[in-house]
Amino acid sequence: MSFDIGFMLRSVPILAEGLTTTLALALPAILLAAAWGVPIVVALMSKRRLLRAMAQAYVEVVRNTPVLVQMFFIFFGSGVLGFPLSGFVAGLIALVLQNGAYAAEIYRAGIQAVSHRQAEAGLALGLMPFAAFRIVVLPQALRKVIPPLSNQGVLIIKDTSLVATISVAELTFQARLLADRTAAVFEIFFALALFYIALTMFFSLVMRLAEVRLRIRQ
Amino acid sequence: MDALLPSLPLLTKGVVTTLYLSVASTALATSLGIIFATIQLFAWRPLKWIVESYLYIVRGVPLLVLLFAMYYALPYAGVQVEPVVGGIVVIGAYFGAFMTEVFRGAVLAVPKGQWEAGRAIGMRTPRILLDVVLVQALRVAGAPYINTTIMVVKGTSLVAVIGLADVTFVGRQIVERTLAPFEVFGAVAFVYFVICYALSRLGRHVEKKASYVH
Amino acid sequence: MSTEGLTGSPVEIEVCGLSKWFGSHQVLKKVSTDVRHGEAVVVIGPSGSGKTTLLRCINLLEEYQEGLISIGGQPMGYVVGADGKRTRRPERDIAAMRAQVGMVFQSFNLFPHMSVLRNVALGPARIRGMRRDEAEVIGRRLLDRVGLGSKVDAYPGQLSGGQQQRVAIARALAMEPKAMLFDEVTSALDPELVGEVLDVMRQLMQDGMTMVIVTHEMAFARAFAGKVVFMADGEIVESGSPEVMFENPQSPRLQSFLKRFRQGYRI
Repeated sequence: MSFDIGFMLRSVPILAEGLTTTLALALPAILLAAAWGVPIVVALMSKRRLLRAMAQAYVEVVRNTPVLVQMFFIFFGSGVLGFPLSGFVAGLIALVLQNGAYAAEIYRAGIQAVSHRQAEAGLALGLMPFAAFRIVVLPQALRKVIPPLSNQGVLIIKDTSLVATISVAELTFQARLLADRTAAVFEIFFALALFYIALTMFFSLVMRLAEVRLRIRQ
Repeated sequence: MDALLPSLPLLTKGVVTTLYLSVASTALATSLGIIFATIQLFAWRPLKWIVESYLYIVRGVPLLVLLFAMYYALPYAGVQVEPVVGGIVVIGAYFGAFMTEVFRGAVLAVPKGQWEAGRAIGMRTPRILLDVVLVQALRVAGAPYINTTIMVVKGTSLVAVIGLADVTFVGRQIVERTLAPFEVFGAVAFVYFVICYALSRLGRHVEKKASYVH
Repeated sequence: MSTEGLTGSPVEIEVCGLSKWFGSHQVLKKVSTDVRHGEAVVVIGPSGSGKTTLLRCINLLEEYQEGLISIGGQPMGYVVGADGKRTRRPERDIAAMRAQVGMVFQSFNLFPHMSVLRNVALGPARIRGMRRDEAEVIGRRLLDRVGLGSKVDAYPGQLSGGQQQRVAIARALAMEPKAMLFDEVTSALDPELVGEVLDVMRQLMQDGMTMVIVTHEMAFARAFAGKVVFMADGEIVESGSPEVMFENPQSPRLQSFLKRFRQGYRI
């Protein structure tokens, strides 16, 4: 079997047609999931038992079921309910619900990693508990959550490939389109893999830069 | 709810396939993880580099893409392989990368002083690893290992997309027939939930046992 | 509960019948003591004696089940109503009272994401409501006072342990507290850095600050304390002037504690 580089290069533009959709799905999903994680973590760390239990249940359900099943649930379910959501929207919702829960856990771990003694020092000065959290704990927790959030972002980018199964014309969908028609499947999927590697590499780099920029001076 | 009852036997078959895929893929991933972690920790440069590239690729490429690649490439492969085996190989190889990190991380988590103490009484690396470090590393590896198996179970759901009759595929089939997505996918989700939640509880138990302080 | 003692100066901190349980284990057993204005009280005792817990109860960083504490005549943390029931004061009041008592921790607890100056100026700016520049003036002055005027723009991670602890003292002083609490502030320091911190504390004593110091530095306690309190197993076993406590300990518990301390390592 020979590898036809020319073919691979010619498949790139067709794959690239799906790139914008992939990005249009990944970026909002990342931002919305990061945002959605905030009320969830507030609920998770709340003193009110019921709220905490509900948040914990939500996180457990979402973490222990596959994203694909969640997407199918929302996609096919919405159709039956009468307001059919597009594959894109259903996929976006599923991604946000899933990764928001993961983000919440990441936030929780980050906050708890900041030694409680820091908060104590703030309280000892006479700061109100929320002020101590905001001024002392939060800035430190923020630095700690960047690496795991960056990881999660990479996972989101990769999970966008799943919407190909509900007819969204993103990268993987385009690759399948091509692969159904030609025999040069190696070249096509090699190119596809390169696309994803490039995306995740770029994203990781950006997050790393952010992490370095925000580093606390030692 | 009545949409489900006649489909129960079909669903059960799907569950069996999911379990089979999960166990087989985990076994493969574990084996690969052990081999690659050992290479990453102890082998010399060129071999390490190969493993590192493999890990990098797997980390950057979605599992679905790898499954599709296998699915489309399979007819062109010299050997006659059943799709199920192909699925296991791909999923196992994919999560093998995660397992590598779990094992490597666990060994690295054992304090350097342990190695030094072994060396100080004249032990050589393989002996130190086997007698001293491994036991301590396994304690650390317990919880992340189980977390990775949870990922494997969830990952097997993707074979539905290449036509393998796991519980997700079967679910989709049933929904197409009965148009009851909430009940059916709810049931499918429930199956995964039971398996994964049980594993996560096990993981939490292991994590507690792993810390020397009780 | 009196507000004027025999020795003339008013009581700054009063602890009455303080009891605390950790589960079924009682760590403080009806502890009562007082600290007069301008007095430096040093609390000594073996580990687990409850001395740090007692200190942390004063500014309510530790909760306690029984007893009352007052600072400057005001009830701290809990009040006893007319019906005799103990109620917790609102969070705002507790925070306000904490602002009147400075605390210095064993592990310094400086805020690593802020410069040294900002660490010290934070309190005046955020809590005393000063403008940023006014707070910074105070910060610089205090950092000068503890000998770190040249380090205002440094970050805690760039300083030695002794320097960090001096910044911590300046941070507490910036709130112009009525009293200062010191929780084993030299225990985590390398021996050669202990002196610079003790010097600052001695200076504070001379300036008339009311202080409660939990420490293992016996020589320091002996030389500079106004009153020494010895605790063991959650109780105050003996208290008095440093001369009496160290030269002529009355209780056998204190005698054996000091003996073990003096023995140390003999060549």
